[in-house]
Amino acid sequence: MDISYIFVICLMALCSGGSSLSQVEGKQKSGRGRGSMWWGIAKVGEPNNITPIMYMDPAIHSTLRRKQRRLVRDNPGVLGALVKGANLAISECQHQFRNRRWNCSTRNFSRGKNLFGKIVDRGCRETSFIYAITSAAVTHSIARACSEGTIESCTCDYSHQSRSPQANHQAGSVAGVRDWEWGGCSDNIGFGFKFSREFVDTGERGRNLREKMNLHNNEAGRAHVQAEMRQECKCHGMSGSCTVKTCWMRLANFRVIGDNLKARFDGATRVQVTNSLRATNALAPVSPNAAGSNSVGSNGLIIPQSGLVYGEEEERMLNDHMPDILLENSHPISKIHHPNMPSPNSLPQAGQRGGRNGRRQGRKHNRYHFQLNPHNPEHKPPGSKDLVYLEPSPSFCEKNLRQGILGTHGRQCNETSLGVDGCGLMCCGRGYRRDEVVVVERCACTFHWCCEVKCKLCRTKKVIYTCL
Amino acid sequence: MSGTILENLSGRKLSILVATLLLCQVLCFLLGGLYAPLPAGHVTVLGSLCREDHARQNDTSFLLYSRGAGACIPVTREEVEQDSTKMANELVHVFQMPLPRDLRDLDYSRWQQNLIGVLQVEFGYDSSSELREPPRELQLTIDMRLAYRNKGDPDNGWKLYAHGVEHRYLDCVTSHVGPTETLYSCDMIPLFELGALHHSFYLLNLRFPLDTPSQMNLQFGHMHDLTLTAIHQNGGFTQIWLLLKTMLFPFVVGIMIWFWRRVHLLQRSPALLEYMLIYLGAALTFLNLPLEYLSLVYEMPYMLLLSDIRQGIFYAMLLTFWLVFAGEHMLIQDAPNKSTIRSRYWKHLSAVVVGCISLFVFDICERGVQLRNPFYSIWTTPLGAKVAMTFIVLAGVSAAIYFLFLCYMIWKVFRNIGDKRTSLPSMSQARRLHYEVPLDQKVEDWAGIVYFYTKAFFFQLHKANESKGLIYRFKFLMLATLVCAALTVAGFIMGQMAEGQWDWNDNVAIQPTSAFLTGVYGMWNIYIFALLILYAPSHKQWPTMHHSDETTQSNENIVASAASEEIEFSHLPSDSNPSEISSLTSFTRKVAFD
Repeated sequence: MDISYIFVICLMALCSGGSSLSQVEGKQKSGRGRGSMWWGIAKVGEPNNITPIMYMDPAIHSTLRRKQRRLVRDNPGVLGALVKGANLAISECQHQFRNRRWNCSTRNFSRGKNLFGKIVDRGCRETSFIYAITSAAVTHSIARACSEGTIESCTCDYSHQSRSPQANHQAGSVAGVRDWEWGGCSDNIGFGFKFSREFVDTGERGRNLREKMNLHNNEAGRAHVQAEMRQECKCHGMSGSCTVKTCWMRLANFRVIGDNLKARFDGATRVQVTNSLRATNALAPVSPNAAGSNSVGSNGLIIPQSGLVYGEEEERMLNDHMPDILLENSHPISKIHHPNMPSPNSLPQAGQRGGRNGRRQGRKHNRYHFQLNPHNPEHKPPGSKDLVYLEPSPSFCEKNLRQGILGTHGRQCNETSLGVDGCGLMCCGRGYRRDEVVVVERCACTFHWCCEVKCKLCRTKKVIYTCL
Repeated sequence: MSGTILENLSGRKLSILVATLLLCQVLCFLLGGLYAPLPAGHVTVLGSLCREDHARQNDTSFLLYSRGAGACIPVTREEVEQDSTKMANELVHVFQMPLPRDLRDLDYSRWQQNLIGVLQVEFGYDSSSELREPPRELQLTIDMRLAYRNKGDPDNGWKLYAHGVEHRYLDCVTSHVGPTETLYSCDMIPLFELGALHHSFYLLNLRFPLDTPSQMNLQFGHMHDLTLTAIHQNGGFTQIWLLLKTMLFPFVVGIMIWFWRRVHLLQRSPALLEYMLIYLGAALTFLNLPLEYLSLVYEMPYMLLLSDIRQGIFYAMLLTFWLVFAGEHMLIQDAPNKSTIRSRYWKHLSAVVVGCISLFVFDICERGVQLRNPFYSIWTTPLGAKVAMTFIVLAGVSAAIYFLFLCYMIWKVFRNIGDKRTSLPSMSQARRLHYEVPLDQKVEDWAGIVYFYTKAFFFQLHKANESKGLIYRFKFLMLATLVCAALTVAGFIMGQMAEGQWDWNDNVAIQPTSAFLTGVYGMWNIYIFALLILYAPSHKQWPTMHHSDETTQSNENIVASAASEEIEFSHLPSDSNPSEISSLTSFTRKVAFD
């Protein structure tokens, strides 16, 4: 049994003893943390990032779930990208929340505890942001690592090319090399999405509302990475004319994705329990013309499908760019792959998952078919890029270790600002202290090629305000 | 005198020929659409950052690589930020192509023909600095080193292929404005073009030298991601393309030999239009010649330039042919002697010449110089871009003038035909029938023709208004040309619009860009093939004495009387011109004489 799972049980036992937690929260706790322990690998690689991190590392063993460990084992080089991705998520989160009372602080990693602390136990806005940004960061970082060449198992997008005539007769790697020679290999980003779904969404089975919230926010993070991709084209026909044109997708800087997610955080939707699941009929192929129809939820409410979190329309939109990612949802049966091409959904794995693979995948993709209803019925249902949360956030003013809140004592604030980074709001009215510090930094550098850099040391005086 | 095959071929044979050629055309289209992959593939490589020793910076044999034994250990962005001087003048951006995939190390194949690299730059400024506007035409100085390695070489066996310090100008847009840093994302810049993808692995080392005295690269804040996209031709596409060329080559050569032999069998020297046809065939043969096979063995960096030149010669020849074709069918009385390109068409062709020369000069400036320095691009400097644009605009203007002029000439030909047709009834019945061979009659062979003429001459059953003659066949060919040109344009536009593939159903997918390329290539081959056949001189004589041995005894007297009518024709002055190959051209002249 997973050590992490034991820890979850222990934590549950501890927390159920806590007086401040309600019965509902206690129930929801069973779902938290299952898929989020992997965040801890952000701190695994820190002591020495020169030597490659091995998947056998005990710290990793305790952080990752079994399926995640298998993914890491079967995709050499992916661990480094995951560590980078987790750190990218943390630094981006801390950048986006540097001016808020909750500043995305992480605890010094101690095994078996959640990296972001107990705030993850609550289904509040901040948690939704953490899930979305980590999922987006993994997607981004894996896609980047593929184009850096540090992951050897990145797949090719063979869907765009015709069958190589010889591919049928040759097996294994020879066919792959022939495919490359025949039609090239022009995909980096698709692998990032596929991997992120497999890896990040592991513990989230979508069985209770909290897991659905996590799944939704994970998907929202990926959708933001997708939405910020830009197409670039180059003409290289006769004399450089556009008779032949090649296009590719370009990933945006992660800062841009962070900005967008922060904007969604500010407009996040509070959702509530609903029984309307579509999971039962999701295995049947969804015909495109069903997009406009209505489905009757089990609670008798008619839910317009246009508001579905993963409506067919959006899947098609996504499919335009990423042919493999979501195609299985709309055509789980009819899609036929070339026998020698890697199935777009399954990542290369040494162990044969065999016959139950198909059934498992069918079930796994059903978990993305659900509908979340807004808490306030007058609000519109959340879209695929919206963040959702379940309960209001705490004030984050005072330290409350039981809830994982550090408080704003000792935080820097901006005296002139009237916003949440202003000393009035940030310090929750407790008052603040003024300090003058001298900062020494290099400045006025001159460069000579080759190969000299000369800089001066500059001293600047800065005034710092700190909350009491 | 003899006509062309187009005039003498029976309607049924013509339709069989046209159907066969159309079938070939569909096959060419499907070959590209069903079997070929996309014409080009690409590898997107994100630059790895390596830190290097100052001592080795000027040593061009020292190359940093990111994978394999002895690879550099990449530094992270955070390490750069923490460094006191941000590792200025110490960083090398390393790009190693191709990337590993599916747990395998891929390597380039010689089937992939050529490699074009473009770079996308992202950089940021500290928001405290004053530069807020998106920078325009920022000069970037790049020290570029391109190296190669072959399969079987050791991991560190990189050999320098080219080295250059080049300037590029960046146009950037703001992608993010933050309190600490403003990010800019820039338009892609062309980096290198290799006409021969001869080696297995390629490596690119980029340095951005900072130098205060020469103000080099000082406007750049922090470099963020550098993304190199290396575009190569897909091996499968090369194979299909070469297959098409290899198949078409012998057919076109064969039909050219056949055509030229037929021309030489005649008593007269070849006419201008026949020369033009054989030139056109020669240009097509040069285009079809599968020279690319040689590039699988030898390194031929001039292949890109050569293929441009080959295409250029072909299109120049095609445009010239159209002009001469229209001109020869026009009524020109003032040149009784044999027309040559120089005597009659130099004015008409000046647009083609100017357009082709300007495109050629542009190509030499771009791809010619790239033979010496693969990093060179005329587009990278503002002045060069203006010069290049001048040449292209000149070529475009020439093309516009040419097409206007061609349209004018074709309109004149049709007006001529229209005018002269009204004068037909005044001509002798025999002469009129000569021009208006009915298509709907099943004129099978020589005996059939004679039989038809017999009927026509002696029973005068034929009504002029019901007949469809060679004028329509001329129009038919004009229409074919127009359809070919329209299909090329439409295919080009569709190839631009269509992204990805068209799915017929789950199993059949059409690759529109490849289908367009092979379809158009096949179409012009078939078009010229058809021209060579249809405009070859016919050996089926109009009823004359030459072939009386073939006629049956019963027809002999009829033929004799037809021949007497023919003699009346030959008394016309313009008919004495032996260069007439088409009776249509002679017709227009004769009518004018009348």
